[in-house]
Amino acid sequence: MIDWLKSNWRVTMLVVFVLLAAFALFSPTIGADDETLGEESQQVQTITNLRYGLDLAGGTRIRAPLIGNTAEDVDFGDDSEAQVAAAVAGELSDTDTTDVIARQETPDRSATVEVVNPDIDRDQFRAAMDAAGYEYAEVRDGVTEPTREEAIEVLSGKVNQAGLSGSTVQQVSSGTGEFFILIEVPGQDRQDVVELIEDRGNVRVDLYHDNDGDGEYDTERAVLTREDFQSISTATQNDRSGPHVPVTVRQSSAEQFRQAAVDTGLAQGGSRCTYEQNPNGTEPCLLLVVDDQVVNSFGMDPGLGASIESGDWVRDSSFILTTTSFEEAQRVAINLRAGALPAQLDLQGGTDSYISPTQGESFRTDALLIGILSVLAVAGVVFLRYREPKVAAPMILTAFSEVLILLGFAAYLGYPLDLAVIAGFIAVIGTGVDDLIIIADEVMSEGDVSSRTVFDSRFKKAFWVIGVAAATTILAMSPLAVLSLGDLRGFAIFTILGVLVGVLITRPAYGDILRHLLTDR
Amino acid sequence: MVAITVPEVDYTEYTNRQLVAVPLALLAVALLVVVGWYVVTGAPANLGLEFTGGTELRLDVDGENPREQIDGAFSTEPATVQQVAADGTFVVTFQEGSVTTSQLEAEATDAGFDIRTIDSVSPSFGTDTGLLALGGVVAAFVGMSVLIFVMFRSFVPSLAVVISAFSDVMIPLAMMNLLGIDLSLGTIAALLMLIGYSVDSDILLNNSILRRSGSFYESTSRAMRTGVTMTLTSISAMAVMTVLAWLFGIQIMTAIGLILVIGLLADLMNTYLLNVSLLRWHVYEGVRR
Repeated sequence: MIDWLKSNWRVTMLVVFVLLAAFALFSPTIGADDETLGEESQQVQTITNLRYGLDLAGGTRIRAPLIGNTAEDVDFGDDSEAQVAAAVAGELSDTDTTDVIARQETPDRSATVEVVNPDIDRDQFRAAMDAAGYEYAEVRDGVTEPTREEAIEVLSGKVNQAGLSGSTVQQVSSGTGEFFILIEVPGQDRQDVVELIEDRGNVRVDLYHDNDGDGEYDTERAVLTREDFQSISTATQNDRSGPHVPVTVRQSSAEQFRQAAVDTGLAQGGSRCTYEQNPNGTEPCLLLVVDDQVVNSFGMDPGLGASIESGDWVRDSSFILTTTSFEEAQRVAINLRAGALPAQLDLQGGTDSYISPTQGESFRTDALLIGILSVLAVAGVVFLRYREPKVAAPMILTAFSEVLILLGFAAYLGYPLDLAVIAGFIAVIGTGVDDLIIIADEVMSEGDVSSRTVFDSRFKKAFWVIGVAAATTILAMSPLAVLSLGDLRGFAIFTILGVLVGVLITRPAYGDILRHLLTDR
Repeated sequence: MVAITVPEVDYTEYTNRQLVAVPLALLAVALLVVVGWYVVTGAPANLGLEFTGGTELRLDVDGENPREQIDGAFSTEPATVQQVAADGTFVVTFQEGSVTTSQLEAEATDAGFDIRTIDSVSPSFGTDTGLLALGGVVAAFVGMSVLIFVMFRSFVPSLAVVISAFSDVMIPLAMMNLLGIDLSLGTIAALLMLIGYSVDSDILLNNSILRRSGSFYESTSRAMRTGVTMTLTSISAMAVMTVLAWLFGIQIMTAIGLILVIGLLADLMNTYLLNVSLLRWHVYEGVRR
């Protein structure tokens, strides 16, 4: 038995790989177990461990750069990051300190200043840097690596908070060195995803008041921001308060807020806010501001006002942020929990695609049908050409096992199948059978194969051609595998993988099988 | 049962000049088309949505006169409207312009269409991708050429393979222009695939003639029997894929399949007319010099 296995090690290896592939495909212990797919993408659950890409599962994919410019090698002097940001922001029109990110030098990167306000161009940025008196090497397009990482973290938080499970957020770069954020959300409409990510989601509460009574209203900015909240509950809705987000204010911030509420007259006896109808005659208001847009204004309930005035509130410090609609409350809650994006995504500067779940499903069956019929076409030609089941049948079987091994790889790696990958599989069957034809013809040329030595020498000759052919295919496909050309990466990777599997595993095994069938030994 | 037999060609009846005439003439025509296209349009082929930027929607339209419904639904004129054979959905493309993808999406929803897919590419992203992809094709071709020269270490046979491969890529590229197929990531992948795929039969032929025993004509017909079978199986797989993918409206697979079918047909001609005659010249005359 052992001897047989040894002398037929190529076939043995093929069988082992096919079994491993089958295990990877069907065993419930392997594969996408870390994935808790949401109910909407759950339809894709199959008996195998294969994962489907958006093409075949349905969903939305958005690839967009972050908007911003970066000044490199900035000399901060003795100033802190906050001081630099404030100084630069001060030189720019309509620019807040949240639009300027200053980063001190670290061992692996130089000191930088980024401006993420979309309305500021590079010339204005340079002028502001000069006016603020900071030396810098150059101002380039794009943001820094830490900013992108921060953005990815925030975006992941947002899609998770929105309950869009199975989503991925990652960074990809184009071959020209531009960086993009790639967001993939299975089973979700494009519009929903766009709404979730298009804004930076900077939430703050302003206090709008006229406490000196001169008729001129003042806005005390950012009396509460994300950092001031200890906990943020999910959005709720009830008859008394309408849609709102319950929050708890941190002890350290509560006293400060209390002071502001008392000083501006917000707390005394509560306040009725008429900011929308009559902004110049209203009692003090709290303004809920998202990305510098006032989304809601509200006053204060007399009970809460009394509690704040007496100081009791500071111990419990719970508070609600009311909104005009439940959807808005949900958005505010998500933005507060996930935090604000350090820079806005340029949705017009990349690509996006959406496939409806129905279309994905029909693509799945269509692609499967195309795959099966293409294989049958190949099998047909091979049978017509050889008319010898001994040669043709193992050829088809070997080609099939090649596809099975590749599918096993895909399942094991958790690589999502999409249309391009399936096209790659079909191409692999094509090349795979080509090489088997070379082996069969070479081995059977010049009369019968009587001895093992004759067989082996012919097999070796055939293999030279196969090796060179495989090398050219791998070489030709490698630009696609390396360059970031979107969908085609999978096609290239699986063509290359298929060629490798073919040359190293399946084609030698076919030689062994053929030898058994042809030599009399 | 119909049997496939690879026909024996009696090469002795034709001179080298006669043999190379057809493939070289076709290559010249193909180059003329590609270069002409480049001069007139600034690109070797019509650039598809992925390279020019734009938005493509696949819509399920219910009711009478779907075409008119589509014409009436959008605030901007669609660049193309095509119906998918298998399921009757419509593929509508828009050039990149004043209307954003979100607006098109809203208009389609308002008109009561069921949106199957949306694809949108910004123009700046597209231009970068196009240049990158063409660079990839050139790099792949150069890499393949170097590998062939290293493996065969003989000038004329290596050159024969490289010229064949060049023609295998140029003829489909020219055909794309004539058939109105846009250059897309799918077709670029197919062209790269051709570089790897089409040299197989040339390598087989060269190997058979240069490294194996037997006369030139024996070697040629042996390599041809194997090579033609190989190419035919590949063509059959790709033809089935092309037709079905077209019926189902899966563009990336249609594009890859069609380019490969054209390229492999070109390869049959280039290998067994152009490459054979260059090798014959090399074996009978080139070596004697």
